[in-house]
Amino acid sequence: MLAILDTAVVHGLRGELVRVEVDIAQGLPSFHIVGLPDAALSEARERVRSAIRNAGFDYPLSRITVNLAPADRRKHGAAYDVAIAVGILLAHEQIRASGGPWALLGELSLDGGIRPVPGVLPMVATLRSSGHRRVCVPLANIAEAALVEDIEVVGADGLDDVARLVAGPRGRTAARARRRTAIRIAGSSNALPRACLRPGEVTELADLRGQEQARWALEVAVAGRHNLLLVGSPGAGKTMLARAVPDLQPPLSETEAREVAVIRSVAGLTAATDDRLRRPFRSPHHTTSYAAMVGGGPRLRPGLVTQAHHGTLFLDELPEFDRGVLDALRQPLEDGSVEIVRAHGAVTYPARLQLIAAMNPCRCGWDGDPERHCACPAREPERYRRRVSGPLADRIDLRVVMPRMEPGELVALARPEPSAVVAARIERAWVLALERNGGSPNGALRGERLLTVCALDDVARRAVEELAARLELTGRGVHRLLRVARTIADLSARDGVTADDLAAAASLRDRTLEAATA
Amino acid sequence: MNERDAWIALASVDGVGDVTFARLLERHGSARAALQAVVGSRAASSDRAVAEMTGARPRPGLGRRIRQAAEDPGRVPRLVAGLGGWLLTPLDADYPSALLHIEEPPLVLYGLGDRSTLHAERLVAVVGTRRPTAAGRDLAARVADRLVEVGATVVSGLAVGIDGAAHRAALEAGAQTIAVIGSGMDRPGPAPNRGLARRITRAGAIVSELAPGVPASTGTFPRRNRIISGLAFATIVIEAPARSGALITARLALEQGRRLLVATGRPLDPRVAGNLQLLRESPARPLVGLDELVVDLQLERPRRGQEAPSRGVARLGREAALALLEPTQRAVAAALADGPRSIDALCRATALEPGVVTAALTMLQLRGWAHASGAVQLPAGPLTRMDK
Repeated sequence: MLAILDTAVVHGLRGELVRVEVDIAQGLPSFHIVGLPDAALSEARERVRSAIRNAGFDYPLSRITVNLAPADRRKHGAAYDVAIAVGILLAHEQIRASGGPWALLGELSLDGGIRPVPGVLPMVATLRSSGHRRVCVPLANIAEAALVEDIEVVGADGLDDVARLVAGPRGRTAARARRRTAIRIAGSSNALPRACLRPGEVTELADLRGQEQARWALEVAVAGRHNLLLVGSPGAGKTMLARAVPDLQPPLSETEAREVAVIRSVAGLTAATDDRLRRPFRSPHHTTSYAAMVGGGPRLRPGLVTQAHHGTLFLDELPEFDRGVLDALRQPLEDGSVEIVRAHGAVTYPARLQLIAAMNPCRCGWDGDPERHCACPAREPERYRRRVSGPLADRIDLRVVMPRMEPGELVALARPEPSAVVAARIERAWVLALERNGGSPNGALRGERLLTVCALDDVARRAVEELAARLELTGRGVHRLLRVARTIADLSARDGVTADDLAAAASLRDRTLEAATA
Repeated sequence: MNERDAWIALASVDGVGDVTFARLLERHGSARAALQAVVGSRAASSDRAVAEMTGARPRPGLGRRIRQAAEDPGRVPRLVAGLGGWLLTPLDADYPSALLHIEEPPLVLYGLGDRSTLHAERLVAVVGTRRPTAAGRDLAARVADRLVEVGATVVSGLAVGIDGAAHRAALEAGAQTIAVIGSGMDRPGPAPNRGLARRITRAGAIVSELAPGVPASTGTFPRRNRIISGLAFATIVIEAPARSGALITARLALEQGRRLLVATGRPLDPRVAGNLQLLRESPARPLVGLDELVVDLQLERPRRGQEAPSRGVARLGREAALALLEPTQRAVAAALADGPRSIDALCRATALEPGVVTAALTMLQLRGWAHASGAVQLPAGPLTRMDK
């Protein structure tokens, strides 16, 4: 007999329909999967065989051929397991498809349980648009699958559950299946722990004393989605300050939230449901590889720049990152997307992100400190800073030096504003900017549009000219100045950018990195 | 081909340094004769011919390069004119006479900007480390500012650190300044000071003994130091750790018979180890204060007829000078007048928002009242002249 079922695969951030055809014929017992399967998929044979037996069904001792169509598209991952297993049961006539059409997604475990798979959200969306009305997904993926409207989503925990669904309420066969109990010394959940999207420890701004300038720079950066570089000696509070960002970001719009949910789904990250409108905040360690940063790998997974889409990527100890990894940030920072081309196809992942970076002024950390002596050899501090290439530094609008705090000062200072107050100010400015700019934040403004939205009067225009001449600004430097000034004006809800805004913006451009940019 | 063209052509050949040039000149009497002698030698053995003339080992390709230079003696002057610059040789009347009296005067002095700056009456070199402390920068700026006030012109090396601080302070005070660089003048560096180089080209001069296109290398910087000290009648060392290039300039200044002033520093402090060494081992005079500096260099006589532009503000006294500023700038300036502060400290001292303080600071920087150095803001210009 021949059974035909529908399932899906992820390519880039889109799902694609895959048709599973299972044929059982007379002959020596064998099990072939055709249609460009990868290694994980070829191993489906072993998982399917054990799962069928352990779920209480019989594994047919016949010649089994599974075809995955379209045949020219490389298939990867384990999301077809359930469809293949059910196909075998149908073709072997152990169950009957009296429950109507179902699309099936999920990876099998050897005991017949179903494990979650990445990319369920875009796969379900694709199944919906190709006319499916009902889909069965792993129980652990049900929350993200439920984000797709107009399709019935059922979560299944084991192959026996799926068999019952497919057989329908009156299906005879389903009753026969009884899962064998495994001898477990592991946990009982089918969902193995996965990377979680909690932003880690979030700093409350009220707990951070001093650093008035850096705190203000962070407010400006988040309000305009400007890239920000914090330079300072060890213990100045760079990391702590950056970790305040998750509580300052304005909430995602509905459209943005959908895009972010798809990325999370494909990247196999889970997010608590109350975090749906929270912008992503990723802070990878500096040993992060190239493929992890921009995406790719043999199975083309979205990288950190895409996982930080509509949110923030925080790179602590910036010069310690691989040079290639840092330079790979240039395309996403400029275009808001990253295109990955491999021999078997190209995908474009969105990557509209805010980069916040922190670094020491030199390897020992004390170059430029008014009191302490820098122990680095001559020219070493410059070399250290040159690791951040000019083109990358060029894309960072705001650069601030954080001075070291004296321990005495820390105690003496008053408790500053809490995150919630700053976040409210940021959201007002953010909404204002998006309405005026037609949806893009100030940090993304370029060229003519930038000049238009700055609405400079004669006094401000003269101030720009004077600042450019006296501060030795390049053309790019002037644009950076205008973008930042626009956000400073937005934070005060001013229509036009004033000379004072420009002067304040001019101070947020430390020259530490300019050896690399000039 | 006149002698000056031949001189420039021969001097700009890669591989012809002071020694080769001097020997060729000695043997043939003139640069023109030397060029003709090389051209006249048999082509195949021109390297050996040059070696014979100079009494050195033959160097491959040197003969060919000299022939090429002789074929087109106008190449380098054209290059210089294309860059909008000028060049001076010891044959020219306006070659700085101070340089004629040092050992190995530059064979050719290439320059950008206003060449009359080289003939300013009182040239003083201000030098120091590329990695100064905030206090070092502050001192460099104050010294440069005071020098301008008494009519002197600041000479330095365009490096980051003390050099840059001295150049900038001189420009902020409305004066010209001279930068002697260690690379060809087509690319005055280092990179962070390119903008500063452009400003100096507009208000002052950038000079180099290296032909356009010659890159900086480890040897070129110590050699250009002799031009810095040689142009100036006095050299001031602001801040130099042990083995700083500024110590080379200081020793050269003494060898050239120039005056040397060295800023004092705290004993045992590695950041001024060079200063302390100079004070102990050389006849340098200690720099203990700006008024004493003026006395030691005998600069009391104000420059003929005119005064430095910001002098008037200083005469007003602190309160009156501050009153010229807008309220927020006044508050920030008053807090800064006592010495270097971080922006954060200024926010606390003035109880103003960071956005307001930084805007005021930028305006103060534009007016030459403040200067940023990393996380620290330094008082500058009028603020440095105010009594505490």
